[in-house]
Amino acid sequence: MGLSFGSVLRRGVLAGVSAGLAAAVVIWLVVEPVIRRALAVEDLRSVHGGQSASAGLPAHGGEEPLVSRSAQVVGGAVTAVLVGVAVGVIFAVVFARMRERLAGRGDFGRSMVLATIGFSAVSLLPALKIPSNPPAVGDPETVGRRTMLYAVVLLLGVAIALLVPVLDRRLAARGTVPSTRWAVDVVATVALVVLVLVLVPGSPDTVPADVPAALLWDFRLASLAQLATMWLTLGLVFGLLMERVVPPKRALEPVAA
Amino acid sequence: MTTAASASAVSPSTSVRVPVWAWALLAFAVFALYFVSQENGALLSAPAAQMLHELTHDARHALGVPCH
Repeated sequence: MGLSFGSVLRRGVLAGVSAGLAAAVVIWLVVEPVIRRALAVEDLRSVHGGQSASAGLPAHGGEEPLVSRSAQVVGGAVTAVLVGVAVGVIFAVVFARMRERLAGRGDFGRSMVLATIGFSAVSLLPALKIPSNPPAVGDPETVGRRTMLYAVVLLLGVAIALLVPVLDRRLAARGTVPSTRWAVDVVATVALVVLVLVLVPGSPDTVPADVPAALLWDFRLASLAQLATMWLTLGLVFGLLMERVVPPKRALEPVAA
Repeated sequence: MTTAASASAVSPSTSVRVPVWAWALLAFAVFALYFVSQENGALLSAPAAQMLHELTHDARHALGVPCH
């Protein structure tokens, strides 16, 4: 009798909540200070006689903001936790489905392997092609196209994560030795990632001249730190919880009331 | 020692049976992610979408999802 799906799912939700909370802390401590610097750039634009509208530069809200800054900060943290739970649920389903195929020593190792694949495929790869931007960057006119490109890269990342193991099993079925299989897997992954990065067009936006390069760099680094924290926490907590699954003790079963 | 080693070596099956509803749950989770990250008025009314956008704004930027 194997592990029930419900117990895997519960651990996924719990790990997702932890991951979301950890991400919220990183947003609060690392991302928000950079967002404040970017909002200062936006404020300067509206001070300079509303030139932003004519220049097509994003300036938030207008005269009266719909949601206050403090509400946005709290809303951001709540969103981070919701995203963590959703990712945790997806993680648990994929983990349950792929458990016997995932490499790694024990469930902790498998969990860390899956978290690494998840971070690389759906967070890191899209971030490399369509990097995150702070407020004050990003043309509202092109958001549809940027979103489409982002989704395409994300799906291609998932496709690579599914294709390479298929290739690996084909090679194994043909009796290829493990070292050769590893080499082919690595080369195939690198080649596919390079193809995606080269063939998919990048963001059509140019960064406005009044946004300092250091601000952009700090924000992209902060964004990656937040995503890495989420995946790392998810993998660690889920793995630790899975390691604590009590194996069913057959000897105790016949004891009935 | 030997029992533990042999038990893990012949661990019956590491596979977990995934019920059908789990895939519906997965679809719902993907939809929830879309909702907080990309809902820009495709399903909600414009003011409601705007409200959702502003509330999730900071996390969206942090997650690196394209935003305005």
